[in-house]
Amino acid sequence: MRMPVPAPGISIGASQSQRCHPAKEKDMLKIDLPKERLPDWKETMLKKMAEVLDKYRSVRLFLDICVKCGACADKCQFFLGTGDPKNMPVARADLLRKVYKRYFTWGGKIWGRANEAEELNEAVLQDWYTYFYQCSECRRCSVFCPYGIDTAEITMAAREIMAAAGVATKYVTEVVAKVYDAGNNLGIWPAAWKDNCSFLEEDLKDTEGLDIKFPVDAVGAEVLLVPPSADNFVNTNTMIGYAKMFHAAGISWTTSTYCNEGGNFGLFLNYANLKKVNNRILEAARQLKVKKIYWGE
Amino acid sequence: MKIPPCLPFVKGGWGDLKVTFYVMSMTFLFFYLPYFSLGIFFLGILYRFWRWAKTPVPLRIVVPPAPGSRLGVVRRLVGDVLLFPNLFRGDKLLWAGGFLLHIFLWLVILRHLRYFLYPVPGWVAAIQTLGLYAGYLIPLPLAFLLARRLVIDRVLYISILGDYFALVLLLAIAVSGVLLKVFFRTYIVDVKALVLGLVHFQPLMADAHWLFSLHFLLVMALLIYFPFGKLMHSGGLLLSPTRNQRANFERRFVNPWDFPVSYNALNLSSPEKYAQALVASRKGEKE
Repeated sequence: MRMPVPAPGISIGASQSQRCHPAKEKDMLKIDLPKERLPDWKETMLKKMAEVLDKYRSVRLFLDICVKCGACADKCQFFLGTGDPKNMPVARADLLRKVYKRYFTWGGKIWGRANEAEELNEAVLQDWYTYFYQCSECRRCSVFCPYGIDTAEITMAAREIMAAAGVATKYVTEVVAKVYDAGNNLGIWPAAWKDNCSFLEEDLKDTEGLDIKFPVDAVGAEVLLVPPSADNFVNTNTMIGYAKMFHAAGISWTTSTYCNEGGNFGLFLNYANLKKVNNRILEAARQLKVKKIYWGE
Repeated sequence: MKIPPCLPFVKGGWGDLKVTFYVMSMTFLFFYLPYFSLGIFFLGILYRFWRWAKTPVPLRIVVPPAPGSRLGVVRRLVGDVLLFPNLFRGDKLLWAGGFLLHIFLWLVILRHLRYFLYPVPGWVAAIQTLGLYAGYLIPLPLAFLLARRLVIDRVLYISILGDYFALVLLLAIAVSGVLLKVFFRTYIVDVKALVLGLVHFQPLMADAHWLFSLHFLLVMALLIYFPFGKLMHSGGLLLSPTRNQRANFERRFVNPWDFPVSYNALNLSSPEKYAQALVASRKGEKE
């Protein structure tokens, strides 16, 4: 049975203090971002914002056409959980919208604050950093919006803009940097990946008496398997399941030590890293000369 | 009386000045303003559409369950425009208010065609009664939507000046329209003569009741405001990538501004670093 969650009353600033740790210099350098917040962060962000508005119709359109009906307001789990009004999808988008209005629309330039337009200043940036990282980009709001306004697009745009000026969180940047270092989000180095695979082989032999291989970096296999890296680390039964399935189907397969991660944290950061992380799957497939990629997350 | 080619300048005392002012304001209201606001309305909408349409759509972000064919997309958009299924799923009361408002608006607008068309087409005559009742009832959903903004704390929090302005403007137009129909009845032949004069670019001088002038003025204000505020949601929906894309994942979606992947010095993803990492892992194997 579905239990309806009653919408909480709003309590202003309820989750304002719950903020992510800022990114570390070493990670920012690895992912092609400024190592710390730039001195001219405001100009950089506005420049990036103009670029994003001209590159993504979704962002410009969604900022323009919202009618503030509030249908999305009580659909966001972050609002239901915290009651902080800035966690309503529409209010989250408003954080970006008011800056957009101030610098990119006639209405905002003429009417100013009366038309919700606001300067990009330290307080606004702090709000952005807090609330755009309290969105999980799940897109639930877009299912209920009569115009299909997708707050995930707005969140991604805001994070892209912040990242350009060197503002990002430790969690996301660390994970992306780890992918470039080790090939997966968890930081399992190639030697450890191989060790895990041979351990699973032995385990399978001992417990079920099955002689099934877990090939790694096997050039010329038919299928490159790109699992979520946790499957070879904690959810090992899933990894064993893949092997059994390939064995039963008689398909030659392999994992790669260069890319063994289906999850892409670039999605939570910016387009360049999103593309780069995904591109690794293709690079691994070319290096191993496989015919197909099985790719899950 | 025909509009004089230039604004009349009347010599004389205060009485004449009042006449001059009256003629000037009527000339402005019923001659210059309609063309001006219609121009703003259409040019504004064209500009907004052009601005959105020329902005590229880099990724496929369609919201499921999505249609796979073009026909399916058309069906989905028509459904979105007419029935608001997403809103129905999200908030039944809001859906009822919004749906009634839009249906009533359509009926009222179509009913008003009888002032623009001569002879009046059969279907316009046929919806006359329906349109009238829609006009009488339209203040109700408007008042509901306004009250909702003030009563529900979430919606009060997100509401801005533009939201109230649009509702109050529509409410004022609706109420003045109802009053004109019920209490201060206008002489309909004069109204039609005025509007047809505008349609055929041969405007007549109007000597209208103040309430009619107000109704007319507010509609002009609506036309001018329409392209710039949130009322453009009506057109924007058609260009919304989450609604108008197809879910045909077999076809590759090409990003028009895509750029090649770049690698910086510290990155292991350059081929040399990758080779080193492989060698390192093989060493571990031998030990």
